[in-house]
Amino acid sequence: MARKKVCEYYWAPFKSDCEELLGRFQQTESVRFEEFSAIWREMDFSAVFFGTHSDHEKRSFTQLTFTIAYRYILPPYSFQIRVGSLYMIYGLYNTQLTWPKEKIRIALKDWYDVQKLITDAKTCQHLDVVYIFKRLLSSKAFCFTAMPKKLTFEGSGRVQHNVNEEFRDRRDRVAELASTEMLEEIANVHGHYERLKKSATPTSSGVTLLNLTYSVKKCASEYQQWQDKTAAAKDKSSKEETTQKSESSSRADLLAAIKSKTYGQVSKGTKSRRHRRVEMVTSDPGTDEALFSQKKRPPSLRTRTWQNFGKPGQPEPTKEWLLSVMEEDKTALKRKEQRRFKW
Amino acid sequence: MAECRTLMSEEKQHKNVPVYEFMDVNSKEFHVGIFRDLWLDVLNPEVYSYSDTASEIEDVGFIEEVGIEPKTLEELKSICSVDSLRSGHEDTDNVPSDLHLSTLKLRKRRQDYKETLTRDTVDRHEVYANEMEMIYVGKKPDNLRDLIPEGEIILTFNIMYPILFQRFKHVRAYQTLQVLGSQKLSDLRDAICCVSDLQVFGEFSSTPDMVPQFISKDHYKSAFFFFNGTFFNDTRFPECQDISITTQEWARSRDFPEFKTAKMEDTSFYDLKMKVGFPYLYTHQGDCEHVVILTDVRLVHQDDCLDIKLYPLITHKHRVVTRKCSVCHLYISRWITTNDAFAPTEPCLFCDQCFRMFHYDDKGNKLGDFLAYAYVDPGTFN
Repeated sequence: MARKKVCEYYWAPFKSDCEELLGRFQQTESVRFEEFSAIWREMDFSAVFFGTHSDHEKRSFTQLTFTIAYRYILPPYSFQIRVGSLYMIYGLYNTQLTWPKEKIRIALKDWYDVQKLITDAKTCQHLDVVYIFKRLLSSKAFCFTAMPKKLTFEGSGRVQHNVNEEFRDRRDRVAELASTEMLEEIANVHGHYERLKKSATPTSSGVTLLNLTYSVKKCASEYQQWQDKTAAAKDKSSKEETTQKSESSSRADLLAAIKSKTYGQVSKGTKSRRHRRVEMVTSDPGTDEALFSQKKRPPSLRTRTWQNFGKPGQPEPTKEWLLSVMEEDKTALKRKEQRRFKW
Repeated sequence: MAECRTLMSEEKQHKNVPVYEFMDVNSKEFHVGIFRDLWLDVLNPEVYSYSDTASEIEDVGFIEEVGIEPKTLEELKSICSVDSLRSGHEDTDNVPSDLHLSTLKLRKRRQDYKETLTRDTVDRHEVYANEMEMIYVGKKPDNLRDLIPEGEIILTFNIMYPILFQRFKHVRAYQTLQVLGSQKLSDLRDAICCVSDLQVFGEFSSTPDMVPQFISKDHYKSAFFFFNGTFFNDTRFPECQDISITTQEWARSRDFPEFKTAKMEDTSFYDLKMKVGFPYLYTHQGDCEHVVILTDVRLVHQDDCLDIKLYPLITHKHRVVTRKCSVCHLYISRWITTNDAFAPTEPCLFCDQCFRMFHYDDKGNKLGDFLAYAYVDPGTFN
């Protein structure tokens, strides 16, 4: 089995640092870069690269930071979190200590989402977002790839991706249904139908709805206003409640998560979190590293093959030997107890 | 007619945008040439060119695109400058003393542990991991005709060394090769270094001075790549046979789907449909099999090696320990003997001088009973 690489151990701590930074940014409720850089300076985030001595470790850690920060730029995260992660990527790229600089890998499937984010920002006149993205493009920070990271078919690369519920965007199902394209299509079809009806039969009773598109639009906007009002009210009340419920619900969440991982089903949120959407937790059988502790590994393919098909008790044909040591000396080939760093 | 075309291009786009087939493991199949066209459609050519546009031109372009005043741009520049993100600490080699980032806490713990060790053994493979890559970074060719055209695709292949079951348990040794999309499969084949290509056949205990100079690479020239149900055979030389025929006939007799064949030297990487991260096969010498994984497909970048003559480029090679002579432990072994009454082990390695001193007398007569073969050390490519 390949040993876990040194930079992989930094995945969990760095992810929690990112989430702290984005969480603080979310609380400012703004998308301005000044707010972001104030939080960055306060947390002294550029120090994340300090302390590594070897060039190879610096590079692999830098690539790891990009991979982790990059995930937050894509849907289903909210607009503010996505902007925050773009700022974070800009900061990490410019404060990295390696030269030539490590590039940020961006996959084709994600490029469309990122472009959409930038056009949204342009329409809302968030100039700092657009400017920062243009700066990254002009400094050739991006590497345009097929997949977001190098896939080497090694077990160590498979980590659980859990979307942080706090950062998720509020799904606007009604707006998605009654989108502008849909309304246009409805208007076209409605107009076509009316024309056909007029030409086919003379004045008939009005069975169909008149002004269908207008009424759909009105309904959608009313719903949006109601949603905004109730969300604001809920946020205020939930902030008081979260402190009490956080402890019990986190433990309940952990239990629920473990149960769902073992059975591969949709995990139900606890009762206090019912207003949040349920999340599908999928797991690769046999490669779930988060579940198993460091010492106990699932049996490898080789062991399983021997158990199922191999003849039991067959001695290994290859004998190891050392020319410089006597044959009677059995301790020479045994590995000495090595003191290792406990990650 | 126009509708037909847009439908087809949408379908192309839908099928050829690489997505995960299994999360973090490998992607679905996509056509490399169409993938490249999709990227080039979406990007502004300045974004992937090798030269940098002047900052004044960029500023003017930005002002026009967004529709703002030059004064606002100046304000933006000062707010979004990198200086606002710099850390207060000057010393980048040591972890700063005030820690609240969990990454830094972990790093400090490791640093403290290292200071308790009397001798810090550094992993040899880690130290030299990036060595080959760093030699070629940013290399520009002397002759401008050898410059890689902008918008070219670079594919990165990990080629595993052939499987030796005892060693394969602990470390999967591989070499990494980078190829351009416009190159042919046969170029990749020529660049793969494998020890079995250098083997010399024959038993030479009676005639130690007559070791022939030809190697297996010259004798057995057939090879094939197996990608997604198609065998790509090397048909450049008259000695090359189609060694995939045996596998194909076996498959036909056992209800497998039909496998196709194609020529290695006629197919460029742009014509292939590949899965990223999926293990494929390369076979040469009849039975020396290598697992080949395509790890990365991307557009060429300003900072890559831009000399077309250097491709396929080796960026990583696993260093194998060279086996020294059993007698002197100084010279690299050139002979391997079996059935040898003089040798302590079966088989045993000797360097040239020790071999002759051990097994032949002054007049060159063979002493004792043994079989000797020429040995090529796996570490020759280090």
